[in-house]
Amino acid sequence: MKKTLSCTVAALALMTSAAHAEAITVLVEGGGHSLQQAAADAFTKETGIEVNFVEVPYQGVYDKLSAEIASGTSNYDVATIDVVWNAAFAAHVEDLTDLFTDAVKADIPPALVMDANAGNKMMGMPAWANAEIVFYRKDLWEDPANQTAFKEQFGYDLAPPATWQQWRDMASFFTKDGMYGTVVIGGTSEEWMAEVLQAGSPGVILDDAGNVILDNQAHIDALENYRAPLCLDKSVPDNALEISWGEAQNLFYQGQTAMMKFWAHAYKMTPEDSEITGKVGVAPMIAGSAGIAAIPGPWYNVIPSTSQHKDAARQFISYLVAHNALGIEAPLGLAATNSAYESYMGKPGYEHFGPLMETLSAPATKGRPLSEDYQELVDEAVMPAFQGALECEDNVAELLQDAAATARDILGQ
Amino acid sequence: MADRAPHDFGKTVINAAALLLVLSYALPYVYLVSTSLKPAADVQQIPPSFFPDGVSLENFATVIGTAGLPNAFLNSAIVAILTTLLSLLIAVPAAYVSALYRRRITVLFLLFALVTRMVPAVSLGVPLFQIMKTLGLLDTTIGLVLAHTSTAVPLALLLMSAFFEGVPKELEEAARMDGCTRFGAFLHIILPLMPSGLAISALFSFIASWNEFLFALLLTSQNSKTAPIVIAEFNSVYGLAWGPMTAAAVLYSLPVILVTLLLQKQIVGGLTFGAVKG
Amino acid sequence: MSERRFVLLMLAPAVLFLGFLVAYPVALLVYNSFFEVELINPSGRIWVGLANYVDALTSKRILETAQRTLRYSVFALCFEFIFGFGAALLFSAIADRSHWHRTIFALPLMISPIVAGLLWRFLLVGDIGILNYGLTALGIIPDPRGINWLSDTDIVIYSVAFADIWLTTSFVALVSYAGLTNIPRDLLEAARIDGANAIKRFWHVTLPLMRPVIAVVVIVRGIDALKTFDLIWIQTQGGPRQASEVFSMNIYQRMVRYGDLGEASASATLFLVFMIVLAGLAYWKIWRTDNG
Repeated sequence: MKKTLSCTVAALALMTSAAHAEAITVLVEGGGHSLQQAAADAFTKETGIEVNFVEVPYQGVYDKLSAEIASGTSNYDVATIDVVWNAAFAAHVEDLTDLFTDAVKADIPPALVMDANAGNKMMGMPAWANAEIVFYRKDLWEDPANQTAFKEQFGYDLAPPATWQQWRDMASFFTKDGMYGTVVIGGTSEEWMAEVLQAGSPGVILDDAGNVILDNQAHIDALENYRAPLCLDKSVPDNALEISWGEAQNLFYQGQTAMMKFWAHAYKMTPEDSEITGKVGVAPMIAGSAGIAAIPGPWYNVIPSTSQHKDAARQFISYLVAHNALGIEAPLGLAATNSAYESYMGKPGYEHFGPLMETLSAPATKGRPLSEDYQELVDEAVMPAFQGALECEDNVAELLQDAAATARDILGQ
Repeated sequence: MADRAPHDFGKTVINAAALLLVLSYALPYVYLVSTSLKPAADVQQIPPSFFPDGVSLENFATVIGTAGLPNAFLNSAIVAILTTLLSLLIAVPAAYVSALYRRRITVLFLLFALVTRMVPAVSLGVPLFQIMKTLGLLDTTIGLVLAHTSTAVPLALLLMSAFFEGVPKELEEAARMDGCTRFGAFLHIILPLMPSGLAISALFSFIASWNEFLFALLLTSQNSKTAPIVIAEFNSVYGLAWGPMTAAAVLYSLPVILVTLLLQKQIVGGLTFGAVKG
Repeated sequence: MSERRFVLLMLAPAVLFLGFLVAYPVALLVYNSFFEVELINPSGRIWVGLANYVDALTSKRILETAQRTLRYSVFALCFEFIFGFGAALLFSAIADRSHWHRTIFALPLMISPIVAGLLWRFLLVGDIGILNYGLTALGIIPDPRGINWLSDTDIVIYSVAFADIWLTTSFVALVSYAGLTNIPRDLLEAARIDGANAIKRFWHVTLPLMRPVIAVVVIVRGIDALKTFDLIWIQTQGGPRQASEVFSMNIYQRMVRYGDLGEASASATLFLVFMIVLAGLAYWKIWRTDNG
């Protein structure tokens, strides 16, 4: 399959490279630069088209791209954007449907293809994807004393957590010796949204038709489950509302928590001199009644309609997806295609690829709703209810009903 | 002797109070420096320790190895210096007449300057982007200097006019009796009396530009990217490199410490008008 | 040269410069506030008259945010002024030897706000927040989890002000100090000979002469405090439960995160009008009295 892809690109390259030496400018965040530099070098070698990366901080990608598009002309031929911005840019980028050949579609997890589908067009090509998986302390799980004690207390064998119940059991079990079982993140709602999918909801916040489903049973069940370690089991630090990704990751690295759900790339990023180096195990995301599910965190390559070098940009994007594995050697070590991940499977140091692929390809895994109002829905409706629930007092169903009302108000439903 | 003892005691109390205030005020900065000297695994240690267990320069090594950082430091310095000069050039004459020639137009002007200070930066960003794009000044030093000057001028203007308020109008009249033009009186007689006001205005214009983020983010991309942008890049979606970020911030603060030290002499050096009048 | 021409000539560069780079964007802002228009697509606009203003003024959320912004600003400004002016008086009392004091006091100014915001987040946040460990060591709170600075909705709006106070007290101190050095020594000396004690000299000589400087410091810092955005955004993103959300955050969210240029412009215009009224009051009250 990889071969056919390369051939198409080579043919495309032959058709246009005769024209003249071109250069394209690519707007990226730091991560996107390092993941795509190797492929860009190879692309320049093959086609003669120079690739010039403009690297900006995370927020700069959105700010600069929208300012450029608003001004009517653009210096950028390609931009690598976070999926959360897809809806905002959908109307202002080129249709890439022709790049999604059957071979390409078969090689990319379906949830990632879905996120590029802006209704009337394919607005971008996945550059790489990420998802939350389970990180746990191998040394603690393999400790015979822990295994015996766990079995005695809960009646089943200690293994990496795979279900909601196991997650809570193990979090309670490892809350001992000055350590917490895990952590509940209150600074951002994404991990809870993954649980909403695990509970079998047809979508988070909105269903596919765009109706607000923020107060359906799956949202309620997931929020009850999400706050249980904090409110019932006391197996996590009580300052959940202060904890965001960075704090959660740090607690784990500092040996303060026994396990966490976290973005897969972190597997390669444990500080070398940390006390848990070499003791980290990974497993797929946990499963609810609908099985394993996660909200993927992919980035997409898009071509702004204002680009001056659209053909070269197209060539570059299809080259990137065909040579997707070239990014894996970069520090973040992420890719979007199954074939890229498979090519590293079994290599030492890449143990997280199995769980990541399994999570990304799980049937219930699904992206955020592709709504232009997504950010507003999250900030104005979801976060107040979500953070309110984590104060452990209010009724979850009522909070979510209020949030759903706010959401309908925003959408004018 | 008996008379001097309480005086000495008072001095000691004042000195001790000043020292205590300054030291406690410096603590967060010291903590920043100490964090920058910790090895990667310890920068967010639990429980935290104020001082590093062992000094490590790995964060500084990372920072110095960061592509584009030396260049960004240079850009920041050029932009900040030009912004300071341009701001003073524009603001000082206007502040002078606003304070010494008070009339309806100058009052209105001061209020206008105040209003320009009130505009939320986020609502200025996109229009400025379009102005700079039309002028072909995107990603140029000049473009960023103009943008920074637009925020520095109102501040310098208000500060300078406050300092000019202290100047007795008779001083200008006396100078003109001696044959100075209005402009001559301003330039040769009164301005030299304002080292502290000028130093303060220069310092804050410089700092406003040195640390500015939003306009720099929008208006520069490669050629004239400034250091705050590069420093912000240590905080990516894939994690915060807090060790290198603190190291970069510490390095970036050193030139300003130098500028501040240099300007301190001017700040104290203010002549007293009484002495001049006498 | 006539007096009038001289005044106009001296004002001209500043007027032209600010007119071009600030007044024009502000005019655009006001203009946009009457339309339903997206940030990314400014050419597709629909005239909606005052609808954006009606939305903003009837939103409970925006009114709460406005009140919170005022509380935040008053809190920050009070501490900045007390610490800053106090520091300036101390420095001027030890005048010739305050060189290093003042430079050290200016250290916070030298850190880029993003780093300062993160630094304060890490000083305050649970587990790694060294402030609570310090307070525990001093016996002020029983254990390092005693105060949840950033997750307690009752205090978070004040906790996030610490960074602002720390960062800008230097401004108040340095400007006030420069103002103090400009007070003629012979006036103070004359007062001393007349038998005025230190407090009387401060009240009757120093304070009146410092009035213009104090006015500028209070007005400028007041405006900046009302405008504060990035420091709080970095620390809490306005949370938890919007308890640390301030007005300019609202403008930012609408403009950048939701891409709604029309509504954001209406909020920004309201904000501007409010501040103009406030500054006008401040001007008539403090600045002008003895010069008018």
